[in-house]
Amino acid sequence: MSDSVRNIDSPQEITAAARALRSHALDRPISASQVIEVLERWGNSLTGPAFDAIPGVAFLKLWLRRGTLEPIVARELGLGAMSGDWWEDRSARLRSFPVGVVGHWPAANVEIQPLLSLSCALLGGNACLVRIPTGLVAQSGHILDRLRSIDVDGTLLGRIFAATFDHDRMDLQRAMASAVDGAMIWGGAEAVTQIRSLPFPHWARIAIFGPRLSVAAMDARTWATGEHRASWCQRLARDVWQFDQQACSSPQVLFLERSANGGVAEFVEGLAEAFRTENRVHPRLEIEPALSSAICLSRASWLLADEARRGVFSPGPDWTILVGTGSQIPVPTQGRTLCVLVVDSLLEPIQTFDGMVQTLGLAISDDAREAELARAAGRHGVDRIVKLGRMHVFGSPWDGMDLIRPMVRLVRHIPSGD
Amino acid sequence: MSEPLAKLHGQIDRLLAAGTFSLEPDEHHAMLLAVLREALAYAADQNPRLKNYLDAWPIDYRTAGSIADLPFLPAAAFKADPPLMLVHPASIIRTLASSATTGQTPSRVVLDADTSKRMVKGVTSILRDFIGPKRRPYLIIDTPETLAAPAELGARGAAIQGLRPFATEVVFCLKGGPGGNIEIDERALLDFAERFGHEELLVYGFTYVVWQHFVLPLRAKGIRLKMPHVRLLHSGGWKRLQDQAVTRTTFDSGVAEVLGCDEARIADFYGMVENVGVIYPDCDYGNKHAPAFAAVIVRDPLTLRPVAPGGHGLVQVCSALPTSFPGHLVLTNDIGEVIRYDGCPCGRRGISFRFVKRVPKVEVRGCGNIETVRERPAA
Repeated sequence: MSDSVRNIDSPQEITAAARALRSHALDRPISASQVIEVLERWGNSLTGPAFDAIPGVAFLKLWLRRGTLEPIVARELGLGAMSGDWWEDRSARLRSFPVGVVGHWPAANVEIQPLLSLSCALLGGNACLVRIPTGLVAQSGHILDRLRSIDVDGTLLGRIFAATFDHDRMDLQRAMASAVDGAMIWGGAEAVTQIRSLPFPHWARIAIFGPRLSVAAMDARTWATGEHRASWCQRLARDVWQFDQQACSSPQVLFLERSANGGVAEFVEGLAEAFRTENRVHPRLEIEPALSSAICLSRASWLLADEARRGVFSPGPDWTILVGTGSQIPVPTQGRTLCVLVVDSLLEPIQTFDGMVQTLGLAISDDAREAELARAAGRHGVDRIVKLGRMHVFGSPWDGMDLIRPMVRLVRHIPSGD
Repeated sequence: MSEPLAKLHGQIDRLLAAGTFSLEPDEHHAMLLAVLREALAYAADQNPRLKNYLDAWPIDYRTAGSIADLPFLPAAAFKADPPLMLVHPASIIRTLASSATTGQTPSRVVLDADTSKRMVKGVTSILRDFIGPKRRPYLIIDTPETLAAPAELGARGAAIQGLRPFATEVVFCLKGGPGGNIEIDERALLDFAERFGHEELLVYGFTYVVWQHFVLPLRAKGIRLKMPHVRLLHSGGWKRLQDQAVTRTTFDSGVAEVLGCDEARIADFYGMVENVGVIYPDCDYGNKHAPAFAAVIVRDPLTLRPVAPGGHGLVQVCSALPTSFPGHLVLTNDIGEVIRYDGCPCGRRGISFRFVKRVPKVEVRGCGNIETVRERPAA
């Protein structure tokens, strides 16, 4: 195992680590600019085949750039936050301070999520206690090892304690929750429910990201005309493939606006070809037997339920396209199983959305129409509306929330001399 | 009877008449493939929704060159309500239901008279190979109420009924007690032991029922029977006993102790209602085998292709027997291991495999894993 991720077996180890982190952060205040300086060097150092093999590292490198992070800090915390100075707010002064030690519970399906999560808290000047899911220890450890080699004076390393332990070890989960001043929790329904019930201090700030699902939609002109169809199908395939469709930003269903001109079958064949191509380039290397079973069941259940439904799928569990009509989102299967539903108007499904839909990926030929759909989606709980092919691009806000601000206290100083 | 169905019946009968475990593997594969292709064509004609599924399969079943290429149904597809069927409802004489645990929907399969007869023939021919053709006194470790609703029979009831052709006399040794508890009918049991203890006997019970309601109470009371020539068959899975940390070794020694027999006389068999008519008892080498009218494929979860010997994967069961429900090719929720594709030392031809465990729950739950969906108002 990497030296950067500690295997933890007792609550005392967690309590001691949190105490050391808090002390370090209090003794050595840090500005966002200083954090970004190290983060950018860290991102630039993630080169070579071992890093290329970790899904999402290319994106992590983009995320860690000053050009990406500075505008986010400025928008969320104000311009003064970069230098750690006070800034004027009418007759008062404001300055951001960290909440202290932030606990991170990343989801187990996104390899770079522990790093993304901790980078957000670090930008607020916090220290980070990170539980690395057992399945991600190798990848996260490898990336953190590289930070060791570039952060020789411990500017950031002194603020990070990466721990791993089985998620069923409730004594350790409780110790971690008790020791932090804030929490960033990412994951599926089961994990989030379990973690949010832990005994956090009453002052702890809790930010929960997920569980959500995402949806794609195409208007009639876009999908029914052959001109750009292949390119849109390719973009959608990429969105489906990333994170094996297990991320909250993964499209589970594609709504197609009914067209008088184009045949759905022809479009679906184009989409199937894009899936075949994506599968050749990015074949799955392993699968849980339960997911393989679930994929087989989703195919059978879909086609046995209604003779009018169609399905196109690979002989193995590699990919599945299920075709039908209706505006209700079916229960997601994940594992590269996309449901294509034909609707009379894209407003129909959007008006049934509730807070469960995170991202709406769009391919719309008319700007005014897109604006109308975006307004409707926003009203119905959607937090991100993006172009198809960019559904996973991580940025702030996420899940409708800032990423840095939740783990920062804005302190107001009204000078006594005034 | 339609011409295709009559042809199919003839083909199935030929498989049933073939040597149960003696067909050379290539010959077996060719015979079974031909029947299964016909059976799928017939099923497609009977059920348009099933046809929809079969037509979407990436390989055309009408021209498929291998049983492994034929379209299979996941076992959970049999939880449909109404059940998947290939006959008019008026032809149904019995519905079999799986032993779903509390809160789960059971699988259900419908039997018409022809399929029902074939199921009995199937089980009989398999068991005859394992325990011989002789009829013998049959002790059922269960309550008579298990068979109380013959129109809809559970897995326990179906297994009990499947062994009846080997019985001269049938005795139940459990009964309903106060508060709905199950208790031993000591009088019936001891009387049976006294009358037939020295003979060749057949005993059957669901695995956890045998342990929970037979072995443990008899042990507690210090009762030891003398049935040295018994053959005890049990089925139903190990999950509930695993929860009590009861291993197969513990089970076998406990059963042997109370029955007063050798552990070798106890055999576990694997079976499921979706594959009714086919059971898979352990051979003397601890392996399971598929008879002439059936096949087992263990599929790699990553590719769904059959695994190599020694490989683990999802168990698919195949059967030529049903014509009333589409249980020809069923992907189970079990993990199995292929021991070899032919040449088990027991002498039975074809695949030998072992049941390993139920498919484990998915460990990794991503941020897209939604478990609760807010109820939407009806449109």
